[in-house]
Amino acid sequence: MEKLLNKLLDYKWWVMIVILVITVLFFLEMKENTRMETNLDKYMPQDHPAFIYSDKAESWFDIKDGIIIALENKNGIFNTETLDTLKQLTKRFQKFDEINKDDVTSLYTADNIVGTEEGLDVKPFFKRVPKSPQKLAELKKKVEDNEMVFGRLVSDDETVTVIIAEIGDDVFTQDFYDKILKVAKASETDDIKIYVAGRPIVEGTMALLGPKDMKKMVPIVLLVIFIVLFITLRSLKGTLITLGVVFFSTIWAFGLMATVNIPIYAVSTMIPVMLIAIGVADGIHLYSHLHTYIDHHPSAGKKEAVKDMLRQMWKPVVMTSVTTAVGFISLLTSQVYPVKYFGIFTAFGVMVAMAFSLVFLPAGIMIFGLPKARPIDPDEDKGGHSHSRTANNFAAAVIKHKYVSIVGTAIIIVLSVIGMQKIWINSSFLDKFEKDSDIVQTDKFINEHFGGTSTLNLILDADGKKDTFKEPAVLKLVDKMQQDVDNKLQVVGNTFSLADYIKRMNKVMNADSEAYNTIPDSKNMIAQYLLLYEMSGDPENLNKVVDYDYEKLNVTFQLKSDNSKAINSALDVIHTYEDDFKKLDITLNYAGSGYKGLVFTDLILEGQIMSLILSLIIIIVLLSLMFKNFWIGIIGSVPIIITALISFGIMGFLDIPLNTTTALLSSIAIGIGIDYAVHFLEQYRHNASTTDDRLVAAQKTMAHSGKAIIYNAIVVIAGFLVLLFSVFPPNRELGALVSLNMFTSFVGTLTIMLVLLYMSRIYFRKKKVHGIKKADKSINNV
Amino acid sequence: MRTLNLKVLTVMVLLFIAGTNANAQEKKLTGREIIDKAYNLPTGDDQTSDLTMTLINKSGSERIRKIKQFTKDFGEVEKSIMFFTAPADVKNTSFMNWSYDDPDKSDDQWIYLPALKKVKRISSDSKSDYFMGSDFTYDDLGDRKLDDDTHTLLREETIDGVDYYVVQSIPKDEDYMYSKTVTWIRQDNFIGLKKEFYDEDGELLKTLKIKKFEKISGFLIITHSEMENVQKNHRTTIQLSNIKINTGIPSSKFTERMMMRGI
Repeated sequence: MEKLLNKLLDYKWWVMIVILVITVLFFLEMKENTRMETNLDKYMPQDHPAFIYSDKAESWFDIKDGIIIALENKNGIFNTETLDTLKQLTKRFQKFDEINKDDVTSLYTADNIVGTEEGLDVKPFFKRVPKSPQKLAELKKKVEDNEMVFGRLVSDDETVTVIIAEIGDDVFTQDFYDKILKVAKASETDDIKIYVAGRPIVEGTMALLGPKDMKKMVPIVLLVIFIVLFITLRSLKGTLITLGVVFFSTIWAFGLMATVNIPIYAVSTMIPVMLIAIGVADGIHLYSHLHTYIDHHPSAGKKEAVKDMLRQMWKPVVMTSVTTAVGFISLLTSQVYPVKYFGIFTAFGVMVAMAFSLVFLPAGIMIFGLPKARPIDPDEDKGGHSHSRTANNFAAAVIKHKYVSIVGTAIIIVLSVIGMQKIWINSSFLDKFEKDSDIVQTDKFINEHFGGTSTLNLILDADGKKDTFKEPAVLKLVDKMQQDVDNKLQVVGNTFSLADYIKRMNKVMNADSEAYNTIPDSKNMIAQYLLLYEMSGDPENLNKVVDYDYEKLNVTFQLKSDNSKAINSALDVIHTYEDDFKKLDITLNYAGSGYKGLVFTDLILEGQIMSLILSLIIIIVLLSLMFKNFWIGIIGSVPIIITALISFGIMGFLDIPLNTTTALLSSIAIGIGIDYAVHFLEQYRHNASTTDDRLVAAQKTMAHSGKAIIYNAIVVIAGFLVLLFSVFPPNRELGALVSLNMFTSFVGTLTIMLVLLYMSRIYFRKKKVHGIKKADKSINNV
Repeated sequence: MRTLNLKVLTVMVLLFIAGTNANAQEKKLTGREIIDKAYNLPTGDDQTSDLTMTLINKSGSERIRKIKQFTKDFGEVEKSIMFFTAPADVKNTSFMNWSYDDPDKSDDQWIYLPALKKVKRISSDSKSDYFMGSDFTYDDLGDRKLDDDTHTLLREETIDGVDYYVVQSIPKDEDYMYSKTVTWIRQDNFIGLKKEFYDEDGELLKTLKIKKFEKISGFLIITHSEMENVQKNHRTTIQLSNIKINTGIPSSKFTERMMMRGI
């Protein structure tokens, strides 16, 4: 390996050119074929039972998410101007290519079924917009009397009315949203305000906003990293080459993604994050070694210095990269494809970065020359055994006060475990936006006036037993459950099912008497009402609540929040009816995007925890094998464990919920933690072989690897703190948590890991008696 | 909520007049004349039949309804009454429809639900309503008037040895649910064997196919037709059996009392 690397030094130009050409090719491929995936359904594992059922149910009942366009007139909506705007907008949306005409619902499209003394009257609420005060009052009365419309399409205070346009999962684009906004805003007047909301808007905007914000922030992050890196490396060439490694490996990762035609998912934006955090490490360690070498040997030539760097460093670079890559590959155990892809391509990027560090970086040095040396005065008293006074003092202090590290770590672990109890999982999309953003405000506004912008679909399944949902006993239980959920939970604004149609028909057919707003006792009566509704109303409406054979029922719950607590609270109440339904041979299932989001988040976390444990085991094994010592495996994993614990603990204390982004961050703890540990361990082993004094080894390692680790941490932390200024809250959380992870990893490696390493006496066992005496003496000297 | 009236039952049914088809071909009929012949065919004064309507949704599930129906032409008004015989839970549910020639007068309709034991009047004013949750609207079933549309003969076609006129009809009312229809009418007997319905955006919405027609008491009666909504992937078939024409149904058959009494 070393020979091969040395040989490549002779072909520096070729190496440079080949890498650059491939990078350009990947870049072109990336530019040509990269596409964003905004359809969140594509993120979900299609073969998971919950998703299979939900997808089927969505097709049975035509369950789609709706865009809500709300018209507000503070003076009330029952006037010619507002109603005319409603009619015109409804017609405009019906003509949109992206929207099916039948999927647009408003007061203008709705049928009003009313009972009269002698019979039944089915008519639209209005066709021509009413002009006279008398006609307007009539319409107002009709709306108020129809509870299938009042509170659903017109708010109870009569100042807001909505148009609901249901769209398919793959329809949303930024252009489409802009078009809707443009049409809506064009109809605004002094009196009429128009709002656009709904899950497709939230989902779509989020899927676009995250990466868009990243695109804007990443160059700034890189700039900051560049500056800090320049300060620490003391070399513009070195900075450019190190960043080149990161930059090219990112292009290769995304280029490969584009080549094999895998779209960019929201989690893919984490790939550059990981590669930046991890990729600069190799460069910093290599340069750190180079600096040390030339500082000690100011007269050494280019090739000599680079050869020494490769000889000493190729092993730790390969080891850190392989362990990191393996850590990411363990994400393949996840059931979620975007996470799998994230794991594979990050691992690929890490390996590419490794290759670049060992090939591109040396070639770069050969071509552009060495950094300037700062010759060391070997006679100067540095208070220890290395060339750096700070490193000597720090290492000695850590070892002297080792119990501070141990007790401190113990306290931190206990606190973290307490904090972790408070962690909650949130699949909400809305919670990812700023509280004062338009999207959140609009949502809030509509939730204040209507049942809710989020839906949960309960699918009652009689498993093929036809006509089950014509049975009075069944429908009465459904009705009871709906009312129970509605009454018990503030967050549930509305419920809707076949029971509502039957109650309405019963009332209408009995001269609109409120006493008949119930489920009738006869099955034939229910069947006849249904037949009548099919003939008089729009039969499509019934297809949305019950299947053709009356053996599956879709009950819709409208929620005022899409966060997991809200959905779970509704699920809890619904579950209390599970036994009652079981007695009737009916099972409870769920469908809809809100529910899928909930299951999806659980899956991600489950996979994340699995892969975290798995990669920890793999890393312990790998470290044990690499260092041929089991205890090294354990000691080396300590910084990782501490980093992960603190990360989750702080999330608990700061009330940051676990979601897809924050959960994936534990991968970074592994990737970075292992880098630090391996470099430190390898250097320590190397130094241990030249001395029989543990403190000497510790101080030398601190001066070499320790310094590189601190530089690495400072560079990445500085870079990621930039994300705190992001406009997209999840990216802010990301910046804060990456910085935190870097910080705890480096502190953990340089304190508790060093202490454990020291106390374990590994590499000093054979020279036991002698070593201890000497080490103790030297500590006393400090 | 209208019942199937007489025209509905004999939709696109044409009297087979031997010998006229040769003349028709020579004269080069206009689109309007062809549709006129198809619309205004002599039908019997009354008709009785058993109707089976099958609705098939996109997943292949079926709803089958069986109906016994009676229709009679009273000149100014056409009356029809129908009784459900299956499924069992709606048995004896009945509907009555009086349809007037006067275009300003909307249909009178009644419904009787046996479980409710009451006859109720129903008012609904759209001819574009779908008939009983099927893919047929009342207009599709024959309520359309000749001059509601502008008819153009597009071309003549020969399919499987049968000659057809292909006529395009564009509604004069721009807000009508179809932007146009295209009908394939047999040149020999003026039966429309196929019809395409285009939606407001000019895209194919539905296709009607006549699968079978029979000559009964001198009248050509379509006994099996299928309408498919290609956009919704939903189909409806209508099959008629036990057809009796001009049996002299008494006018007392079309009353609320008869609705409640059942067949």
